[in-house]
This record gives sequence, structure tokens and C-alpha cells, in this order.
Amino acid sequence: MSAATVVDMSEGEDAQRLAAEARDRVRFEEDALALADQVYRVARHLANSREDAEELVQETYVRAFRSWSSFQPGTNLRAWLLRILTNLNIDRGRRQQRAPQMQALEANDYYLYDKLSEDNDGVSDEDRVVERLSQDDIVSSLAAVPHDFRDVIVLVDIGDFSYADAAQILDIPVGTVMSRLHRGRRILKGALAETALEEAGT
Amino acid sequence: MSSFIDPCAHCEELMQPYLDHVLTEAERVEAESHLDECDYCRRRYRFEESLRVYVRQATAEQMRPELRQKLSALRIPLN
Repeated sequence: MSAATVVDMSEGEDAQRLAAEARDRVRFEEDALALADQVYRVARHLANSREDAEELVQETYVRAFRSWSSFQPGTNLRAWLLRILTNLNIDRGRRQQRAPQMQALEANDYYLYDKLSEDNDGVSDEDRVVERLSQDDIVSSLAAVPHDFRDVIVLVDIGDFSYADAAQILDIPVGTVMSRLHRGRRILKGALAETALEEAGT
Repeated sequence: MSSFIDPCAHCEELMQPYLDHVLTEAERVEAESHLDECDYCRRRYRFEESLRVYVRQATAEQMRPELRQKLSALRIPLN
């Protein structure tokens, strides 16, 4: 076998390897883009505004496309993307908060229901009580929940992630996910009750 | 604030994990048998469930087509 043949062969292998890598990369990019709607939906409520969310999603995809080879095929790509996104969100110093003064409203899990139904001429049909809240009420009340709590609500309740996935994305223990979720939902309901009562003019 | 005292405190404790489907089998049976006999809790479980569905619907915002195009443009071109 001449030296020239050896070079040809290894060039051939290189070309094959590069082609395989390109195929994998294209597939990765397509898979990631197919999840963009779901990623955006979560990002929209992790961030404080639509503009922030759009920037965050773009930065996430820039970073994802650049470091695609560190993704382990067969693992949860949506969680991998959200992990990048939540890290970026924290890096951006999104911690400036609209100070929520609703700790007092964290009464108990039934607080919102009781408030809504007692103010509703005794109408206690569960679905109708919920309908007293507008979409804006929900979006603005959610935005008022402090980030640590909001992150888990958004991932679990809107993003449909398991406790375990949320824990991995946020790099916190599962027990912390559960306790933040519990407390966060109470804070959210407190905020919703407040909004609904303000609108009712009481 | 609220001087309301919850007569079904344990049920409340079980409610969140029940709705998240993370109770053990024994806890789930316990929660469901309580729900069967307690109208008070049953109504509030239903409320909680419909609230979650409602929150999910209210927060579902489509991304703008411009963003979708920008994301596609971020793909790294093949050489």
C-alpha cells in the first residue's frame, strides 16, 4: 500500500465523519426549532416582558446551536434548552423585582376560592368562579410572583415539566421544587384574589 | 387577614400533590375517599383543577412569526 493510498483512505474517512456530523447537527437544529413554540411559551412567563422573552429565546438558540455537540441524544432536549434559557435569564440579572407585598395573602389553598365565591352572590359553581378572572388578571398576577417561585410554577404548570426535570433545569433539589411550587401557587392565588377584589370594587 | 379556619387541613395538604399526580397509591386512596365524602373539599379540588387549566390557557401566547424566522436564521450553515 503506497503512502498516497493511506492519505486517500484517511481523507475518505474524514469526509465520512464530517458528513455524519453535519447530518447530526442538522437534525439537532431541526429538533430544537420544532420545540421553539414550547420554549417560547415558557420563556414568556419566566421573563418580565415579551421583548425580554424574545431576546432570551434568541440567545438560547444561539448558544444551543453553538454547543449542540454537548447535548446527549436521547435525553430531554426541551429540558436542555430550558436549562440554557433559565441560566441566561439569571445571568441577565433579572432579579430586580417588582416588590410583591402579598405574603399576608398566602392564607391557605382555598383562600382565592372563598374570596371569589363569597363575593359572587353565593354562586359557587367552580368553573364560573374561575371565569371571573380575566386573562390579563392571570398574566399580571403571575408576573408579580417572585422569580424563585414563579420559575417552578411556569416550568411545571405551564411547561408541563416533571418535578425532576424542573429540579434539573433550575439546579435545585426536588424537595425545593415542591415547596416552592406549593408556596408559589399560594402567592399566585393571593395575587389573583387581590386583583379580582379590586375589580369588583370592594 | 383571613380568620377562616380550614376544617380539612390534611386534605389541603394532599391536594397539590394529588393534582400533580405524585401521591403514593395509599395517599391517593386516602385523598379520594375523603373527596367522596366531603363536599367542601370536592368543590375546592374542582376549583383548583379548573384554575390550573385556566392559567394554562391564559398564558398560552404564540410567538411572533418574526421570531420564528430569526431563530431559523441562527442555524449554522453547512460548508
